[in-house]
Amino acid sequence: MENNINDDNAPKTCEYDPNVNQDELIKAQEKQIAEEIKANTAMVGSLDGLSSLEEEYSNDPVYSSKVKTLLPKFSNVRRTRPDGNCFLRGFIFAYLEYCIHHRDELVRFKKYLESSKEELFEIGFPKFTTEDFHDMFMEVVSDLEGSGSIDRVEAVCNDAGTSDYLVVYLRLLISAHLQKNAEFFSFFIEGGRTVEEFCKQEVEPMYRECDHLHIVALTAAVGVGVRVMYLDRGEGDALVSHDFPEDKEPIIHLLYRPGHYDILYKA
Amino acid sequence: MPMFTKLAHKTSTAAKSSGQTAAKTAAAAAAAKGNVTSPAGKHFLDNTRWQKRLQKELMSLLKEPPPGVTVDVDQAHTKLTEWVVHMEGAAGTLYEGEKFQLQFKFSPKYPFDSPEVIFVGENIPIHPHIYSNGHICLSILTEDWSPALSVQAICLSIISMLSSCKEKKRPPDNSYYVKTCSANPKKTKWWYHDDTV
Repeated sequence: MENNINDDNAPKTCEYDPNVNQDELIKAQEKQIAEEIKANTAMVGSLDGLSSLEEEYSNDPVYSSKVKTLLPKFSNVRRTRPDGNCFLRGFIFAYLEYCIHHRDELVRFKKYLESSKEELFEIGFPKFTTEDFHDMFMEVVSDLEGSGSIDRVEAVCNDAGTSDYLVVYLRLLISAHLQKNAEFFSFFIEGGRTVEEFCKQEVEPMYRECDHLHIVALTAAVGVGVRVMYLDRGEGDALVSHDFPEDKEPIIHLLYRPGHYDILYKA
Repeated sequence: MPMFTKLAHKTSTAAKSSGQTAAKTAAAAAAAKGNVTSPAGKHFLDNTRWQKRLQKELMSLLKEPPPGVTVDVDQAHTKLTEWVVHMEGAAGTLYEGEKFQLQFKFSPKYPFDSPEVIFVGENIPIHPHIYSNGHICLSILTEDWSPALSVQAICLSIISMLSSCKEKKRPPDNSYYVKTCSANPKKTKWWYHDDTV
């Protein structure tokens, strides 16, 4: 053979080492990414001016001109942690904040929450685990009835022990609504799954991102109007917005960027 | 109930799947911290909440165990984070008359973090989703775990998985997996594949 290749000079990147447990490496890397996200973002952050969004996109002509169109209508933004629960944390924060300023809505919500428990049992959620999440939610709402202030909402929504309980309960409410209306929602579910399978895989586990279907179900179940402003690379200068449910006046405004939701405040 | 089998290790998709799983670890870690100094006040911030939940589950498993299931109460009382559950193969199935033991390990992040569940002891069921080291390929034990599930729900899933088995055999990659895996099945990136077993 004339063709002498010197093995020492061959590039050695991306070599597969059978002695290393690849799964553990991947898990470790995932953990590191998660720790970084956790360290850098509060579950629900502090109130920022919309100018912080402008700064974020100062080098991006498309986003930056779109952010400008938000300016007359919206004044502030509150960022949420991008951990797959952002929609739910944003929703419940904005809603509870609305409720402390609109006591009649808080009363209505409390009544709804009370009755929702039985509905979840009917769908077949295990009683004692469901009760745990329900009771925590009731505690939070009762507490806000008494001493409701924005500081309290901030504290509750940023305490992992409490916030995660609220998120789980919202997930159960979404799942119950989808399953109760399975005939209708089955047309929108991809991958040949039943509505129940979809709920078990995409709704009930923590950290699964909320999609259109989740939002339709949650807003219909709780009876709360949400307007989502879509900030993406779609055509035109104006942001596309969508109201959930379509016929309801929105009381919560969320900013959507691909894969993530933050809270918006009207000017 | 859909059952799953492990086909292969994922070796190059860390970035792709890091979003969800990574975030999971993050929030679970945050949950575990308990955040004692948070202004939310002592009212909600209960570091022992996970213990109460486990005690509640233990009582429920004692009072209304799924058929053929008994929990070793003394052991659970000695160490609340480690349970042994005895399980009998259901009548009319391939496992009739057999006895198995499941080990459950819980972290303070429970129920946001799934428990670590493996078969232990002399008799590991021979099943296409159960490795000879006791590791079980069942999606609710990792990716599809929900905090609304429970020990009871896991036991029911495993019973149903055993009962629907049509042929006793080990997973096709058993010998490779058992040689290379971590002792903790939660450190495996399971590749779930819907199966009709």
